[in-house]
Amino acid sequence: MPGKIVLCRCEDMTLADLEHSVARGYTDIEEVKRYTGFGTGPCQGKECLAVVGLQLARLTGQPPSAIPPFTSRPPLAPTPLRLLARAPDAHRFPDDPPDDE
Amino acid sequence: MARRLASHDALRGPAVEIRVADTSVRAFSDESVAAAAVASGTRILGRSLKYHRPRTYFCLEGHCSGCLVRLGGVPNVRACLAPCEPGLEVAGQNAFPSAEIDLLGAVDFVFARGMDHHTLMTSSSILNKLTNKIVRQLSGLGKLPAHRPDHGPPEVESREVDVCVIGAGPAGLAAATACARAGRSTLLVDDQLRPGGSLRADPRTGRAVADARLDAVDAAGAEVLARSTAIGFFPEDGGGVLAVAAPARLYRVHAKAWIWATGGYPVNLPIADNDRPGVIAARAVGRLLVEHGILAGDKIALVEVPEVAADIDALAAALTAAGAEVTRVPLARALGVRGRGWASGLDTRDGRVDCDLVAVAALPAPASEGARQQACEVQLDAAGGGYRIVVDPDGRTTTPNVWACGDVTGYMGPARAAQDGDRIAANLCGEVR
Amino acid sequence: MQAGIDDEDDEARADASGQMRLPATLAGEGPLPASAEIVIVGGGVMGLAMAYHLAKRGLTDVVVIERGYLAEGASGRNGGGVRQQWSTEINIRLMQESVELCRRFAVDLGVNVWFRQGGYLFLARSEREVARLAKNIDLQNRCGVATRMLDPREALGIVPELDITGVVGAAYNPSDGILFPWPFLWGYARQAAALGVKLFMQTPVGSIDAEPAGGYTLRTPRGAIRARRVINACGAWSPKLAQMIGVEVPTYPIRHEICSSEPLKPFLRPMVSELASGLYCSQSMRGEIVGGVTIPGHASTYSMGSTLEFLATYARRLTRLMPILGDVKILRQWAGPYDQSPDGNPILGAPAGHPDFFLACGFVGHGFMMAPIIGKLYAEWLTGDAPHDIFGRSQLARFFDGSGAGLAKEDFNIG
Repeated sequence: MPGKIVLCRCEDMTLADLEHSVARGYTDIEEVKRYTGFGTGPCQGKECLAVVGLQLARLTGQPPSAIPPFTSRPPLAPTPLRLLARAPDAHRFPDDPPDDE
Repeated sequence: MARRLASHDALRGPAVEIRVADTSVRAFSDESVAAAAVASGTRILGRSLKYHRPRTYFCLEGHCSGCLVRLGGVPNVRACLAPCEPGLEVAGQNAFPSAEIDLLGAVDFVFARGMDHHTLMTSSSILNKLTNKIVRQLSGLGKLPAHRPDHGPPEVESREVDVCVIGAGPAGLAAATACARAGRSTLLVDDQLRPGGSLRADPRTGRAVADARLDAVDAAGAEVLARSTAIGFFPEDGGGVLAVAAPARLYRVHAKAWIWATGGYPVNLPIADNDRPGVIAARAVGRLLVEHGILAGDKIALVEVPEVAADIDALAAALTAAGAEVTRVPLARALGVRGRGWASGLDTRDGRVDCDLVAVAALPAPASEGARQQACEVQLDAAGGGYRIVVDPDGRTTTPNVWACGDVTGYMGPARAAQDGDRIAANLCGEVR
Repeated sequence: MQAGIDDEDDEARADASGQMRLPATLAGEGPLPASAEIVIVGGGVMGLAMAYHLAKRGLTDVVVIERGYLAEGASGRNGGGVRQQWSTEINIRLMQESVELCRRFAVDLGVNVWFRQGGYLFLARSEREVARLAKNIDLQNRCGVATRMLDPREALGIVPELDITGVVGAAYNPSDGILFPWPFLWGYARQAAALGVKLFMQTPVGSIDAEPAGGYTLRTPRGAIRARRVINACGAWSPKLAQMIGVEVPTYPIRHEICSSEPLKPFLRPMVSELASGLYCSQSMRGEIVGGVTIPGHASTYSMGSTLEFLATYARRLTRLMPILGDVKILRQWAGPYDQSPDGNPILGAPAGHPDFFLACGFVGHGFMMAPIIGKLYAEWLTGDAPHDIFGRSQLARFFDGSGAGLAKEDFNIG
């Protein structure tokens, strides 16, 4: 049996999954992202967004330029909570302990 | 089998020992954990989320999820961005009993034709409840961290500069050097263990050229933040701030002008079983060879798209010179990867190529998601490798004071990217005072 | 090429060139039909739940119009919490029914929603907050919800990763839970479509004209459609649609941000929430820690942008509550609008002078968990049943004629 053609390795999303999503009517790249999970893993689409976009253009018979990217969400790389917790941007609640605890 | 080349030995840092899956592994301090794992013959580092397919290094530059490991009790750490520190404990993830022999890999065979988990087992409520329980237990990658962070609280620092350049590959190094030479206070941000980008993966340049260009940035007076990832541009915080995460520090960067020089990500090619261990980005194979003096395989099948032929000519020649047997296969002739644990062959329209490594050379996908957070227009373009940043002939994006150069504006290769960086920086310095 | 997915591929058809033909159902290609008995504006969970239940009760001449892609609004952006811990009897009772519908959803609608009843644990950091929880627990217990007050040690027994320093008490109901929001939309949309409802994505309504003979004409880029009745299921965008027929709806959008961590092996059973900050987090079926925090004092906005303020605030509060998560990494943040109602209660039914224009808004960030039951009750009413109590007490008029003064106000819109 021929093997899987993987487009998003983080989420094990295959070309067949993309075809299945399109066949079910989920053709907007945001809908495809939600239905197949592609681009939602640790790499957040770095490896798969362009690949899926080009395949989606082919499957839906559109020029690639008609396929927008899904929304770019921060953080652009996995970021530990401990790093973010010290940013001065944080809102302070009345019961927040002081910074130098 | 992968091996370290003796010709590179004089360049290696001090030898250290790390522990990979409870086995002592000899490494060198200037290697990433992933590079050391490659050289030691460690092949499989973890298992994938859904089908428990074996996973291991692919891009070796911190952008894919292939080499996620548990490092010193912390889950889901990219081995390719972690330096080899003596005594470091490295463990595989998401596998039972081990990454090499994972019984849950059965899922992959049961659902050989694929599986829509959305509609799986919805026919009866008893089956559905059971499925929910099983899926919950199978979910996730790494286990919870072993302990609270024991290091002191991370520091937060601010930078206010004329120009912030993101990405220290050929384009970014050239741009930062030019901006600093023109008297602009310049910050260069790069997420790799050592800045240099594709220069460190290309036999035509390599370590010496990358180091020299990095020295030039320093000499010009720009500040370089290495191992520092631009994690997001936040237009609503502090009048627009770029957050940059370093291992123990968060930077908040304000700049009058921005240059995106983030290049492109190595991506895979759509052939059957393209996710098998032993299928590695050609640029990663180049990086192992050029930066680390590691030959990743003895018999290498190189699957390539025609647009990158010039780069691959150089790589193939260097791999051959290092003692590998290289077979080049155009993507149009490639069918699929053979081998269970590790790639052992490549099926092509012209027969099978036996190999111990499949290197894939696709067009790099422009790393444009940061620029997208600055509202820069991007366009999906097959010849450009993906979502390239739209720029005018001078390098301006569609957002004022945001510029872009190099492969992130569409694939152009390292030599032209360096020229582009230089040129766009001059344009910017002529305009932004 | 690999073979198809193991699933009933009812619409997957390839033509001779191998090109995949789209089903007209969801993509909603082509012009709108000339007319429909009911047009539902808003393809979020509320509108789709109504469409499904209307069709199930035989009213299939229904068209759903969605401005963007499926799940673009708050329905695709929320944290998936489903709870019965409320401060008003009507909300407790409605949510008891909603939980039942969630339990059956996968089998009833044929799509997994990964509903997991791991409980909801509300943490109080002051005696005042404990008193508030105690009052709610009394009411919940009288309604048959088994919420109980825990001391900090007992809370630690349920979530060993907690740092209970400063925690005074906690309310815990084991039958609350979390779900994966998107499949609700897929399930409702597909089943509604199968029953004859027509769905049109990427179809913004430009204007609505009340027809002299009754009903409305809605104009869109896909053409106009005449509706005998219109349901405004636009969530936080409801005031904009209502304004098109001159009806002022006093709800307003408040951005709430949320984020997701890297996937971890399962360890966290309940949804954990903190009254003081509105911090909440749960572990999704995929293993991610999904959560948010309520930053007070923000102006109303339709912006769905992400802020560092949120990320920093969430990280600060969460690592204080569970210090072991310090090295856990955030993968992605996003935002969605709460449809803020001045008194915390929803607005339902037809406004004065517009007996064929129906509202379903003001759910203050909890419309998703309410939608399964509200959609069902709405459909029952619109197909001839007597209206449920909730409709009488949720009328728009209460903001103008003082009739809302005696109503219990929901004050537990937390998280």
